[in-house]
Amino acid sequence: MEPELAVALPAAGAAFAVALRPRPRLALILGAVLGAGGVAAVLLATPGAASNLLGITLSLSAAGRSMLIVAAISLAFVVILAPVNAERSALLRWGLAGLAGMAGIAAAPTLEVSVLVLLALVVLQATVEGGRPHARRLRAPAFAVALIGLGLVFARMAGPPVLERLAAVGLVAGLTAALGALPYMHEFDADERTATSPIPWIAFVGPVLAIVVITRTHELVPSAAGAVGAMLIGLGLLNIVWGCVAAWRTELPGAAWRYSFIADWGLAMCGFGLGVAEGEAGALLILYAILLTRLPLYLWSRQPMRERAQTDRPVNLLVAAALAGSAPFAGFPARILLLRAATSVFWPFALVLAAALLLWIPSSLRLGRTMGMPKGRQMAGIAVALAFSLALGLYPQPLLLLAGR
Amino acid sequence: MTAVAAFVAWIGGAVILVADGRRGLALGLGLVTAAIAGLAFAAGQHAAAIAVLAGGAAAAALRLRSGPPGWGLTQPGSTPRIILAIVIGILALYFATSLSTGDGSPLRFAWLVVIALSAARLLDCEEPATALTAAATLALGIGAVASLPPAAAGLAAAIVAGLVAAGISALPEVRPHGA
Repeated sequence: MEPELAVALPAAGAAFAVALRPRPRLALILGAVLGAGGVAAVLLATPGAASNLLGITLSLSAAGRSMLIVAAISLAFVVILAPVNAERSALLRWGLAGLAGMAGIAAAPTLEVSVLVLLALVVLQATVEGGRPHARRLRAPAFAVALIGLGLVFARMAGPPVLERLAAVGLVAGLTAALGALPYMHEFDADERTATSPIPWIAFVGPVLAIVVITRTHELVPSAAGAVGAMLIGLGLLNIVWGCVAAWRTELPGAAWRYSFIADWGLAMCGFGLGVAEGEAGALLILYAILLTRLPLYLWSRQPMRERAQTDRPVNLLVAAALAGSAPFAGFPARILLLRAATSVFWPFALVLAAALLLWIPSSLRLGRTMGMPKGRQMAGIAVALAFSLALGLYPQPLLLLAGR
Repeated sequence: MTAVAAFVAWIGGAVILVADGRRGLALGLGLVTAAIAGLAFAAGQHAAAIAVLAGGAAAAALRLRSGPPGWGLTQPGSTPRIILAIVIGILALYFATSLSTGDGSPLRFAWLVVIALSAARLLDCEEPATALTAAATLALGIGAVASLPPAAAGLAAAIVAGLVAAGISALPEVRPHGA
């Protein structure tokens, strides 16, 4: 019954946190207890073991389970060391809702059910009051659901090979649109609250969704695996170049952070597209790094960005090094794995990838400066994020083993 | 029977694409629900048909609570949307009958038109009620793909689709800060 509890407990935590909004401390305690219960259920779940308590078969894959665990660690860390202006109970509320949805997406028996859960999550997020109009906030992620839906329809049709390729196009395009990566970037307002902005899709829900969609795509259209890989690599390179250059050159620091997520996703897409074990391991490490390092650092950069504080202290350089994927941080082994995978598949691609990796340097230096002069809780948060990145960079194997690699 | 249901699905999707008023949106959602439930019934998935019918009917009824009043079926500026509905219908017919093979072309046609027309509506709306109706229709369309042959993931997918569709329609409309 672990998959059911993995969905139900965080969902109950989010519901209680919403109901107890006037009493934030109680909401925080109850949400934290139920969320911890949900994480325990994920930890106790055996990868691949099916459970059918509610008439619907649920099971967690090793990769999905590992991503849920990392997302839960990221949420706990962000809530405990919440940015000064952020309300802890609100962070927990939306984090638990996202976690419940992610568990539902990961544990669903078919991609159709996963997509239905995604649609529910999309609509719920759009219902939160925000700066942008409701219909516009709903548009991009709901369109992603429609693209995946069309991909599923083509995958179910019998006929010439072009139908399988159309299915592959729909599924890959839908995933890209759900993430908000190129060419389907979501409308972004740098001043918007993180919970209602497109950041949760690209930085929190996206990793689990990507694992589910890519795994199911290979099962649904096995003969189009080459086309899927080619599309992922093409889109990945496009996102790397565009994301890095835009993160470096764009005017607003908030937008620069968003583009940096896009660039990281480009690397992950290339890793998944290569279709070899080392590439997938590299992609998973990139996704872990997004959850444990880039997302928390983005949250702690928001206040200094509002105050327009930019500094060049050693801590800013350390942050820049971690974001650029330099040794010994998490991005480094991921890049090594990706380059090895690219060399084994098609060595000229490794040259292109190696050249593209240099693009992270200027944008990361810029993002490092946006952290301002951290102190107090912000400094503690940055230190923990860097420690996570360091641990992942030095010992990536435990998490990769957890993901079954 | 299935061909009629597929045609009703296209009509319902087209109404959702064209309509701007709450009655028109509810009518479109009701037609799509009836069509998908009919197709599920014809495929022998009786429980799935009931689940879709219950969820879709609740969604359509809840849509009548909020949104711009009236039908709003032939508002100024709706001509391109009418043309788009026809183009999507023709393309879906081509994919469902000419390009793909095997039995069940009405089913394939219904899947394609419901998902494509709701996606088109999502891209062309500013009203929360319209966007939520398109999202509910999308949920029913994806539920139909999951619960009907050849996937036949079972009753669970139809129940999830019905619940999501009804839940979406039950949500309140949200206006941006300052609006």
